[in-house]
Formats: sequence, structure tokens, C-alpha cells
Amino acid sequence: MQSIKDASIKDASIKDASIKYKDEEYMDRENNIKIAHRVALISGMFCGIVALLLILNFWHMKQHEPLESATIEALVERLSNEPNSDVLKEEIRSFDLLARKAYFTSRWQIKTGTYLLLIGGIVLAISLKIYTDLRAKIERPEDVTEELLKARANAQYWLFLTGGLVLGLSLIAAYVSNDYLKSYQAMGGVEEAAPEQSMVEVIEVFPANQVAPTAGDSVAQDISNEELVAEASDEQNEPVVEATAQQPAAVLSSGFSSEDLKKNHATFRGYMGLGVSYHKNIPENWNGSTGENIKWKVAFSKHGYNSPVIWGDKLFISGADAQTRIVACYNRNTGQLLWEKEVTDIPGSPAAAPRVTDDTGLAAPTMAVDGKRVYAIFGTGDVVAFDLNGNKVWGRNLGVPNNHYGHSSSLQVWENKVVVQYDTNSGGRMLALQTSSGETIWDVNRPVNISWASPALIEVNGKIQIVTTSDPYVSAHDLDTGAEIWKVEAMMGEVAPSIAYGDGLVFATNEYARLIAVEPKPGAEYTWEDDEYLAEVASPVAYNGNLFVATSYGVLVCYDTKTGEKQWEKEFNDGFYSSPMIADGKLYIIDVGGITHILKADNTGAIVAEPELGEGGYALPVFADGVVYIRGTEHLYCIGK
Amino acid sequence: MFKRIPSFALVILLMSLLTSNLVQAQQRFPKPEFDTGYVQPSPTQPEPRAMAMEYFDVFVLFLVLSLASWLAIRKRSRRGLLWLSIFSLIYFGFYRDGCICSIGAIQNVALSIFDPTYAISITALLFFIMPLLFALFFGRVFCASACPLGAIQDLIVINPISIPSWVRKTLGFIPVIYLGISVLLAATGSDFLICRYDPFVGIFRMDGPFLMIFLGITFLLLGMFYARPYCRVFCPYGVLLSWMSRFSKWHLSITPSECIKCKLCKDSCPFDAIEVPVEQTYRAPEVSRKNLRRFIMYIVLIPVLTILGGWIGTKSHVFLSRVHPNVYLAELMISQPELRADEENLDIQAFLESGDTFEQLVDEATVIREKFRKGGWYLGGFIGLALGITLMNQVVFRRREDYEPHKGDCFSCGRCMDYCPVEK
Repeated sequence: MQSIKDASIKDASIKDASIKYKDEEYMDRENNIKIAHRVALISGMFCGIVALLLILNFWHMKQHEPLESATIEALVERLSNEPNSDVLKEEIRSFDLLARKAYFTSRWQIKTGTYLLLIGGIVLAISLKIYTDLRAKIERPEDVTEELLKARANAQYWLFLTGGLVLGLSLIAAYVSNDYLKSYQAMGGVEEAAPEQSMVEVIEVFPANQVAPTAGDSVAQDISNEELVAEASDEQNEPVVEATAQQPAAVLSSGFSSEDLKKNHATFRGYMGLGVSYHKNIPENWNGSTGENIKWKVAFSKHGYNSPVIWGDKLFISGADAQTRIVACYNRNTGQLLWEKEVTDIPGSPAAAPRVTDDTGLAAPTMAVDGKRVYAIFGTGDVVAFDLNGNKVWGRNLGVPNNHYGHSSSLQVWENKVVVQYDTNSGGRMLALQTSSGETIWDVNRPVNISWASPALIEVNGKIQIVTTSDPYVSAHDLDTGAEIWKVEAMMGEVAPSIAYGDGLVFATNEYARLIAVEPKPGAEYTWEDDEYLAEVASPVAYNGNLFVATSYGVLVCYDTKTGEKQWEKEFNDGFYSSPMIADGKLYIIDVGGITHILKADNTGAIVAEPELGEGGYALPVFADGVVYIRGTEHLYCIGK
Repeated sequence: MFKRIPSFALVILLMSLLTSNLVQAQQRFPKPEFDTGYVQPSPTQPEPRAMAMEYFDVFVLFLVLSLASWLAIRKRSRRGLLWLSIFSLIYFGFYRDGCICSIGAIQNVALSIFDPTYAISITALLFFIMPLLFALFFGRVFCASACPLGAIQDLIVINPISIPSWVRKTLGFIPVIYLGISVLLAATGSDFLICRYDPFVGIFRMDGPFLMIFLGITFLLLGMFYARPYCRVFCPYGVLLSWMSRFSKWHLSITPSECIKCKLCKDSCPFDAIEVPVEQTYRAPEVSRKNLRRFIMYIVLIPVLTILGGWIGTKSHVFLSRVHPNVYLAELMISQPELRADEENLDIQAFLESGDTFEQLVDEATVIREKFRKGGWYLGGFIGLALGITLMNQVVFRRREDYEPHKGDCFSCGRCMDYCPVEK
């Protein structure tokens, strides 16, 4: 009995001990769960806070990148205008030091935060793992498993769907993708319109050998009087001359002499496009705001950076916006608008104007007039001719120029040819069109890049050459055939200034390239070159042994044409985009602020006057005896007593 | 728990040692130098290593793979595999900044095959080949303990959920597509896509673009509940390892001897890589007949899908080739010529200052596009073929009586071994 009782007592105590041990184990486990839970919570919060701080730091750095401080940029820009200012230099250095401190402090913060986040993450992961392990229970394996047949059938369905989706989407993407490369090469390097860019419609270039003598789809004729009809029919019978023609066709003179051309201002930069005017008694004082010496002024309806051209009593000007292109004619004595015509119904004209920059616009090229017709070209590639009474004679489209700023090369006209310099991103090109019909006389490709300069004419040994400047060549072409006569490698970058000519030398310049003087003959080397002051936009002009160069940062320099020796330099407050013109022994140049700086066109450069227009000036002044015409950013002015 | 503390304390100690230089580091502001042309090294790319150290890395990889194979197959130690993966994470991940890795080496190999001017380094080649060879014999031991990407995901598996097999199969097709595209882009010299979108290299280097860090943290957070998301849904190298592993003679097994079908291991795998015995009902005659018909259909469909995929792939060459910077630049300058004046467009400005002509760029881009036209055939064909084979496998019910790891999908992590009550 006693032994049974002892055994039962012993059993009970073992059982009690066992229960107690299990209770203790349970309590330990519960405590550990709590500890793990709390550690996980704290480390999770810690990670969250650090992550938030890192994100905030990142966002703050994005907003205020210390290395791209606007303050330092502004100071550096000021330093470029005041290079000798020690105060400015010190200011830049201290701001730079602050910026670098801020940058490296931020880097340290990010690095420290990252390490803290990593350590916090490790602690979080470990504590979570322990927590879930301790809470895990051994479960009875389920008898119900996934139904395999159904699962496999589902898998097949979804695999089909996924695979089909991937292949289907790829096919759709393949068909909607535009192969710009293929289109570009198919067009021979001419840009094709991208469908999403509905503004651009590139028209295939009008090939020379497909022009019919009579009006076809590409050329519209609108002859208004017998003289023009007779002349047109005579000219239409002339054979079309291509660039590779063996014999140049005989051409008729325009009927006007060079003296007639000198009396007028027929093209960009006047007679032969060289910047020298033959007019006298040009005014020296005026004020556009007060009206002093302002004979008349009109607000022209459309924007354009082109300069006016003059023939007789008529002044012609053009303007354009994305929707319309217009040509207008004023009585240059009274300012009365004689006619204004919209340029429409040009075969091949794009439905939407190409995108151009605001500082070029669609009407940057200056028109040309030859006494019978006035010719205009626009950034859409439209070339149009009106008679002097405003009747459209012909119009054609040369293809939308592949030009990222906008086409700005002005027209040149001589005898019966309108010369178009058409150097674009698709390649170098120049054309000569019949003045009466617009038909192509010759059309040459040139080994040059895009250019914004305009062709000028020079006479060498009794023959007229068309001289152009582009990257990389300054070159001359025969006016009758378009064949290259000579070229010299000189330019680079985006060439905008046209050439100058004087003392038997051609002068060309461009920013980031050089200023050169070269004889206009094959194989010529530079007579001299310089690179101190280079023009970005304004064309140089040569007169009486002096070459005048105007830079876009407001410096005007005079060089000796033969030696390149600098005669003088002057700096003005505003830059020059308008080209200098010579008239009456004086140099006239308008700065972007609208002030015309009139200096003696000699090796003294004495300032004669500096009249103000009262608005910005980008076009160059146009002269007639006793008057000067200036196109400001808002008005067209006639200035004179 | 207290038994575990010393083990994990070791981990924390190791991490502290690694970061001790930071703790002791002073914040020093380096003097700006304007004259000497000092260039601050880029933090996003690791410094090149000495050749001897690169060979040492290969040696370490070989050791790790060998040890992992022994631990998984012979020793059957989950704990050993775990510690080995921690070592790989620290060494190949944090110490070596995650580069070069076997996953990215696919691209090096692809480029070296198709570009005769590119010479692959022996270390990159070995990093590519060794894990595949080990997988061929011992299963995916690389994934078990050598891959730092797998290790970091494996260590944060907290409460994994099981997803239906049809979802797994569908998601499992994505790595195949990713592999194809990566190889094509690498072979054409366009981009190393795998490296660019590696979600964890930013964490390994403690630096990287915001998107990369964001992706990495997202994957880690996701990985707490969906185990190894990158490995299962994206890893292109895993496709190759999976193919090799299916032929492995010595693969990790759940039971050390015979399976007693106790089902204790059934839910042990966080990656749903355990295959259950195939019930006889799935092998019944009427089921077999239906599956046979489907099987024949898929056999016929495989070449159709391959050719269709290849055709679509070659048609896709236009948009695929735009990944190449030259093609992209050429098309950008054709479609938007006004961007030439945009000084903030660094790509165009760099090209304009390079001295090359636009025509040269167009010619280069055309050649590259032609490569994509040919490569598209292979890419599309590969995807079509993979799709067909995967579909075909869905109607094949292999005889199986035991609980076994799927040789292709099993990462040989060893978790299941601890659930098996059978002793050696």
C-alpha cells in the first residue's frame, strides 16, 4: 500500500514538475515572442524614420542641387562681362566653397543613413524571423491538394494568353513604329514628316529635269500684262540648264543696268549683297519714340526679321506666322500700304508650317526685287514672285528645309536669275530659278553643311561669281551654270554671316571658326586670318580699305583689308544681330536695343551719332537718297527730314 | 531564441566590422582643387580589381559551389547552406559590390559570341560556366548559397504565401522573355539590361539611382511574403540553371532514404517547388487520351509558334533597336531636327562636338538596325519555342510516387530536409 502510495506521489510530483517545466517553457516562449515583437516594431519604426529622412534628403537635393547653383551661374555670367573684377571672383569662390560643402555634407548624410538603414533592416529581418518562427505551429498536413488537372488546364490557358499578349503587343508596336532611318534614306537624306508631328510636311524636292516649259502641277502662272506674257513665252522656250549641262543656255538680261540696281536697294545688303549703299544725304539723327525725323511709321501685320527692299517708290516687305505668309508693298514716300498679298496656292506647300525658333521665324530671308517682279522665300520652302502691282506671277515649293532654326538665307537676283542658297541639314544645295517663271535653270549640290548665310555677288575678271559661306567652305559658283569655281576650307559651326568683298579679297567669318581674307581664285590660301573678334550673325562689310566686323556681344572692329591689322575696336552695350551697312562714307549699324551707331567708315571709327529707334532692331537699315528705312521689332520706319 | 542569439550576433559583428571604417571616419571636407584636374571617382561603378584578385574570386566561387553541393546533398544541412549564403551575400554582394556576377555574365558571353572585337575575360566566362556545370550535376546549388541576389532575398523570407501552380507557370515565362531580350541587346552591343535593372546592386554598393534603390527595397519587402520574387519571376540566369538542373544526377532530396509520404514536407517549401505524387486518376486512360491529343497538338504547334514568334521578332526590330544609343540618337535628330539647338540635350550636343557627320551616324544606326532584324528572328523564335514547350509540358503527367523537389524550380535551399522525419 505504502509503495503504491509512494509511487503515486512520485508520479504526481513528476507530473507536477513536468507541468511546471512546460509552464516555464511556455512563459519563456511567450516572453521571447514579446521581445521579438517589440524589437521588430522598434527596428521597423527606426527603418521607416531613416528611410523617410533619406527620401526627404534626396528630394531636397533634387530641388536644390548645390552644384547647379543659379547664383553661381549668374555670377559667372557677370564675370564674363567684367573679367577683371576681383570682388566677383572672390564672391564666386566663396559661393563655390559653400556649394561643395553642401554637396559633400549631403553625400555623408546619405552614406550614414544608408548604413543605419541596412543595420536596422538586418535587425528587423532577424526579429521578424524569430517572431514568426516562435509563433509558428505545427499543422496537420492537409489532405486536400490542388486539383492538378484543373491547375494544368488553367496554366495552359494563361500561358496562351500571356504568350499571345506578348506577341500581339510586339506586332502592334512593330506596325505603329516609324522607321525614321528608312524614310530618311529613302528620301535621299531629306527628312520625311513624322505622323505625330502633324506640323511638318516635307515635300519632295522639285527636280530640275522634270519642269515643263508650260505651267504644270508644280508651277502656277498668273501673267497680268502683255509685256510679261511676251517675255515669259520667250523665256519659256529657253532650254532648262542642269548642273551637269554641257553648254549653258543663253540668257536675257533683266533689262536693268547695274546703275539701276545701285539706285535701288534690291536685295539683302543692297547692291550685290555686299553691304555698301550708293545713296547720299542719309540722316544721322532721329528718335523713334519722340518722332524726331520720323517721316512715317507703320505697324506691319506679320512678324519677320527680313529687311525691306526698294525699287523706285515702292518698298517691299514680308512677314509670316504658322498660318500665313504675306508680302506687302508700301509707298516708300508716304507709308501708304499699296498692296498686301497672302502667299497661297503654292503647289507642294506644306499643310502645316515647320517648327522654327522664335529668333528666326518663318520670314527671316530678305526679299529680292529686279524692277519687274519681287521675289520672296519663306521657312516653309515656298518661293513666290509677284509683279510690282501685287499680282502673283509664279510660286513653287522647294521642299520644307530641314533646318532646326528656320531657313534664313536671303534671295539674290541678277539678270534673269533668282539665286537660292538652300543649305540644310539634308545637305548643301543652291538653285537658280527663272525670274519670269520660277523654273529651275540650274540646281547644284554642294559638299557643305547647313548654313544661314546669304549669297553675295562679286565680279572677277568681268564675270559674276556667286559667293557663299557655309561649314566648311567659302565657295564661289558660276552664275550661268552653277558650277563651282573655287572654294577654300575656312568655316565651321553654324555659319550665319555672309561674305564681304573689297580690294580684290573675299572676307568671311564665323564665331568659333576664324576671320579670313582670301583671293577669289582656285587654290588660293588665306591672305590673312584672325580669330580675336568673330561675328556670330552680322555680316562684315568692306569699304575703302577697311573691313568692319560686328559681334553679337557688342564689339565693332575695323581691320585693314590687305593686312588684317586691327585699326580700332569699340564696345557697345548691346550686341549686334543686324549687319553693318555703309552709306555716305559712314557705317550704320543697329544694335538689338534699337540704337543705330553711326561711325565714320574709316580707320578712325569716330562716332558720328547714335540715334534711338525706341524698339529692338534686328533688320539692317535700308537706304535711299535722303532717307533710311528701318524695320524694328514692331514698326517699319521711314526716317528723313 | 537565446541559442540563436550568438549565431546572429556573429552576423551583426561581421557587419559592424565592415562598417567600422565608417564609424571611425571623420567627416572631412576635401579641399577643392582647381588646378590639378582632380576628378572625383564615380560611386556607381566599382573600381577595377587586380587580376590576381579576380582569379581569387573565381576560386572562392568554386569553393562555395563545392561546399554548397556537399551541404545540400551529402551533409543535408540547412544551417550550413544558410551560413554559406550569408557569406556569399557579404563577399560577392557587399564586398565585391555585386559585380561581376554570373547573372550579368550572360551578357558578356552573348556579346563575345556576336562581336568579334569584344574579348570576354576568363573570369567572366568562368563565372558564367561554373554554376551551370554544377547545376548539371548537383542542381541549383548556385541559387542555394552562392548567388548574392538569391541570398539577400532568401534571408528576409518571413511569412511566405503559396500561389497556385498556374500562376507560377505563367509568371515563370517572364524570365524566358527577359533572357531572350537581354541576350539580343547584349549581342548587338546596345545595353547590358540585366545589370541596368539589377534591383539589389544599389543596396550592395550603398549607392545608386533612386529608381534602382526603390526597386531593390520593393523586391525585399515583397520577398518577405512572396519568397525570392526576383529569382522566380525575373532572373534570366535561372532559366539556364533550371534547364541544366533538370538533368542533374545528384540533386537535393527531401528524404535521406525512402519517402514515407507523411506529407510533412508538403508545405515546407516557400518556393512551391515540391512536387506531390501523381495520383493514378491523372494517368487514367481517358485522361491520357485527352492529354495525348493535346500533346500532339502542341508538338505540331511548336514549329508554328517558333516561326510565328520569329516573324514577329524580326518585325519588331524597329522599336527594339531604339535601345541602342546610336539608333535612338539618329532617329531623334531626324524626327526633331530642332533639338540640335537644344543645349540641354547632352546626347545631341556630345554628338555634334564629336566631329562625326550625321551621315556616319545614320550609317552606323542602319547597320545596327539590320542586326536587330536578324536577331529578332532568334528572339521571337526562342520565345515561341519556349512557349510551345512549356505548353506541351502541361499535358505530360510523369509518374511520381514520392514527394520530390522539382529539379528545375528547386533552389536547393534545404528547408524541406528539416521537415522530413526519416533518418539516414
